[in-house]
Amino acid sequence: MCNNIYKPELMEVTEIIDETVDTKTFRLKLKDEEVAKNFSFKAGQFGEYGVFGEGESTFCIASSPTRSDYIECSFKHVGKVTTALRRLSVGDTIGFRGPYGNYFPVEEMKGKNVLFIAGGIGLAPVRCVIWNTLDLRDQFKDITIVYGARSVQDLVYKRELEEWKSMKDIKTVVTVDPGGETPDWKDEIGFVPAIVEKISPKSENTVAIVCGPPIMIKFTIPVLLKLGFSEDNIITTLENRMKCGLGKCGRCNVGNVYVCKDGPVFTYTQLKELPQEY
Amino acid sequence: MNELREKARELLQSGTVKVIIGYAQGTTPLHTKPIIIRFAEDSDKLVMNKYCVNNLSVYLTRKEFKGNGTVGIVAKGCDVKSIVQLIQENQVNKDDLYIIGVNCNGAVSELGKEFSAETVATKCLHCMVRTPHLYHTLIGTQEELPKRADTNFEMLQKLEAMTPDEKWNFWEAEFEKCVKCYACRQACPLCYCERCIADKSVPRWIESSAHTRGNIAWNIIRAFHLSGRCIGCNECERACPAGIPLSLLNRKMGMTAKKEFDYVAGMGLDTPTLVGTFDVKDNEDFIK
Amino acid sequence: MEKIISYENLTKLVDGIIQSGHIAIGQDEKGINWKRLNDAKELKINYASVPSNLSYKEFLFTKTEPVFYFRNNKDNFNLIEPKPEINENSKIVFLGAKPCDSRSIEIMSKVFNWDYKDKFFNQRAVQSIVIGTACNYQDEFCFCTSVGLSPVSEKGSDIFLVPLDDKNFAVKIISEKGKEFIAPYLNLLADENISLDKIIVGIKAPEKKFDTAKVKEWVTNNFEHKIFDDAGATCLSCGQCAFACPVCHCFDIVDEECDYTCGRRMKNWDACQFGLFTLHGSGHNPRETHGKRYRQRVAHKFKYYHDKFDEILCTGCGRCSRGCPAGIDIACVVTNINTVANQA
Ligand SMILES: Cc1cc2nc3c(=O)[nH]c(=O)nc-3n(C[C@H](O)[C@H](O)[C@H](O)COP(=O)(O)OP(=O)(O)OC[C@H]3O[C@@H](n4cnc5c(N)ncnc54)[C@H](O)[C@@H]3O)c2cc1C
Ligand code: SF4
Ligand code: SF4
Ligand code: SF4
Ligand code: SF4
Ligand code: SF4
Ligand code: FES
Repeated sequence: MCNNIYKPELMEVTEIIDETVDTKTFRLKLKDEEVAKNFSFKAGQFGEYGVFGEGESTFCIASSPTRSDYIECSFKHVGKVTTALRRLSVGDTIGFRGPYGNYFPVEEMKGKNVLFIAGGIGLAPVRCVIWNTLDLRDQFKDITIVYGARSVQDLVYKRELEEWKSMKDIKTVVTVDPGGETPDWKDEIGFVPAIVEKISPKSENTVAIVCGPPIMIKFTIPVLLKLGFSEDNIITTLENRMKCGLGKCGRCNVGNVYVCKDGPVFTYTQLKELPQEY
Repeated sequence: MNELREKARELLQSGTVKVIIGYAQGTTPLHTKPIIIRFAEDSDKLVMNKYCVNNLSVYLTRKEFKGNGTVGIVAKGCDVKSIVQLIQENQVNKDDLYIIGVNCNGAVSELGKEFSAETVATKCLHCMVRTPHLYHTLIGTQEELPKRADTNFEMLQKLEAMTPDEKWNFWEAEFEKCVKCYACRQACPLCYCERCIADKSVPRWIESSAHTRGNIAWNIIRAFHLSGRCIGCNECERACPAGIPLSLLNRKMGMTAKKEFDYVAGMGLDTPTLVGTFDVKDNEDFIK
Repeated sequence: MEKIISYENLTKLVDGIIQSGHIAIGQDEKGINWKRLNDAKELKINYASVPSNLSYKEFLFTKTEPVFYFRNNKDNFNLIEPKPEINENSKIVFLGAKPCDSRSIEIMSKVFNWDYKDKFFNQRAVQSIVIGTACNYQDEFCFCTSVGLSPVSEKGSDIFLVPLDDKNFAVKIISEKGKEFIAPYLNLLADENISLDKIIVGIKAPEKKFDTAKVKEWVTNNFEHKIFDDAGATCLSCGQCAFACPVCHCFDIVDEECDYTCGRRMKNWDACQFGLFTLHGSGHNPRETHGKRYRQRVAHKFKYYHDKFDEILCTGCGRCSRGCPAGIDIACVVTNINTVANQA
């Protein structure tokens, strides 16, 4: 009969980066070479990462599809599986199922300006598209990145933030919430929506990708609409609780949409049609 | 019934209570269901009869009722037992309660069946609290209760006579049927833990799978957690879709509490709880 | 001319099924659940009594099952496929399924097969033979006729029995699968000159309570409505309604130990009425209240599933309502919705 959709592939942890006190990034390699050869994914897709004996957890693939010999995921320590993942070291084995879900319309974004807006761990899915566009830099017009976290300690991908800031052909703005700054903090202070309003990026021919805590998304979208972004050009992701990732287990739905299959990427136009249940 | 409705209307109108948890007519005349009313004009929805089986005190520990004014509750004597137990365990504040006690004429064992000597609930056969032991107002008059043999007790005696192996086989076969729906827990007024041990995942104490191993762990731990606390309303057994005779376990635990410690759950407002007390004179010969 | 089978010969049929290594599934003595029959004498065709508390879903989509085993040998992981507990050549024969039971395979197949295919469910569905029976029972909780079925519906059955009297059933062979299955047992059937159609027409059906199209439309336009909060107000958040339901299919995935060297990943029943079902790691819960969870139950059954798969996720068996410890009756709630929709 057909194959077992619940059985993961094995992956080896090849590198571990401590991003913040509660967030780590894993670089992972598929163990089976045959599977690795045929493996591909698109920006915005996610996977189920499993620690055997503990269970599985859903994270987006945080690395770029243009770098396909490995994948990366960044996870925040919140519960059972993330606790177990935290305890792993380089060389350990985890299970991976994926890639699942839909993806950002990177093809359609070509030839346009791209505005990335992310908050906290929400930078993980955005980072995937950022590297995707940067690796194909000449196919996109202006690229702007706005990233915020609660405090300086909570910023993830610090090395990359520095790298992006140093790049001449993109604009990178990093901010922390008021009170979250350190004495030597030189970047912006303020909530993400306010900073977006302040730098007021042009909306014409621009796609905005917005990921972060629900509250940030809620207040950023009106700012973008005010700036003239069309609802189709505002793209975000939903993170409902998931188990299977396959459209079976029944917990991720928002109305008649299974976030794991019909999402997690939605335009604001689509989001508006959905019942408020996320 | 009019007495109840009048009382409810008066309590809501005067603002003595904010809400009343009571019974309403169910799908058929042989069914009732819980109802929460907040307006005096809804008082006519209340009913009281032999089909009012639910132990409504299960709702008292809900967050929405805490610190939101006095809660009125329609309670039979057995339901008052769990109210008393909840007060003893500091889950419910006595001063936030208004108990509409019911002079009880027995309840049916299974909804949908006509009340009769055959169908009267086991707990009613030996009930000591047909007039509740705690109430703010008392309604109804008492009639003679129909009598029948206590087959549940006969089964318990049969079980007690079994060898440990036989007992184990009996319970293993019963627990195998469990589907882990947790209706037993959810229907139980004394299963109020904010996070049940069955839901704790770091670490996981009870396997959530509904295989025999996981089911035995769940049912035995629940029986332990209810021993000396269970007041015998039998809502767990009524809720169980798998037909597991949970009352046998609970009743045995209750009998043991009575025999060893002379304690009956839910009877004394001022007595400390059984599992919450330590006495040097306690019988400890089970520790060997 | 119709084919008929006597109860006695039906017992022989079950004997034959068991003898040839097939699995016979029938109702238990108390009519609570379904079980594997070890002996044909245990057969009960409850065509004239209340549907069992639990449906036979357990034998298609099991309450718990390993999806794979894992073993760790010195950092070398092995993932092992579980062996099906039922031999793949055996048939799983459901005996005496009422119309509100026999539809379940077709309905659940939709979700288990869109895009990704669940081989565990599919394997059992392929092996299954449904011997349905016309239903001679009805109570206030039944509403098969409101969801497009009826006490004489053959949908989902491979072979369909129509009770004639206490001792005889008319036999209708519905599907190819059924025809193939019954072939070796044709000698147990007799020919009789009766008018089956007349008998079928004579079987009483519960009255239709609501119109699913109307309900669906209303739910689409009234997502935020007090009706759901009122319906769910006394819900106890147990899993009875989902676990008893022949078509609810939600599950959880958890790992557990087998012994010190081996573990397994399990697929276990789960339910949308549980408070933890949709709780995020952050503490945020999109369906925090009983009302929102009850809305999910109603909307999934009468709107979402229909939107996605063109099926109502309900066969009208009434199990969830009969068994609800809080007396919540889904047909009443939906009939209410229909009434409100009519007034609008
Ligand atoms: C599409 C998608 C993409 C995602 N991408 C990312 C990502 O890139 N990075 C990321 O960090 N997250 C991401 N998430 C969120 C992530 O999936 C969850 O945070 C993660 O699955 C939590 O898993 P866990 O097993 O550690 O938590 P669980 O143990 O499953 O915790 C779940 C629940 O149990 C409770 N709980 C856990 N432990 C305890 C305890 N000890 N006591 C009491 N309660 C407890 C929690 O409150 C929580 O509600 C994503 C989610 C989705 C849907
Ligand atoms: S364990 Fe059962 S009988 Fe005892 S109080 Fe709880 S619901 Fe009632
Ligand atoms: S109600 Fe019955 S089936 Fe459900 S968890 Fe309790 S014992 Fe198991
Ligand atoms: S069976 Fe009733 S009380 Fe239990 S979850 Fe379903 S609706 Fe709520
Ligand atoms: S929702 Fe209720 S009535 Fe409908 S199929 Fe499920 S159990 Fe039966
Ligand atoms: S009603 Fe609830 S438990 Fe049943 S299938 Fe739908 S979401 Fe799952
Ligand atoms: S995660 Fe299981 S259905 Fe979406």
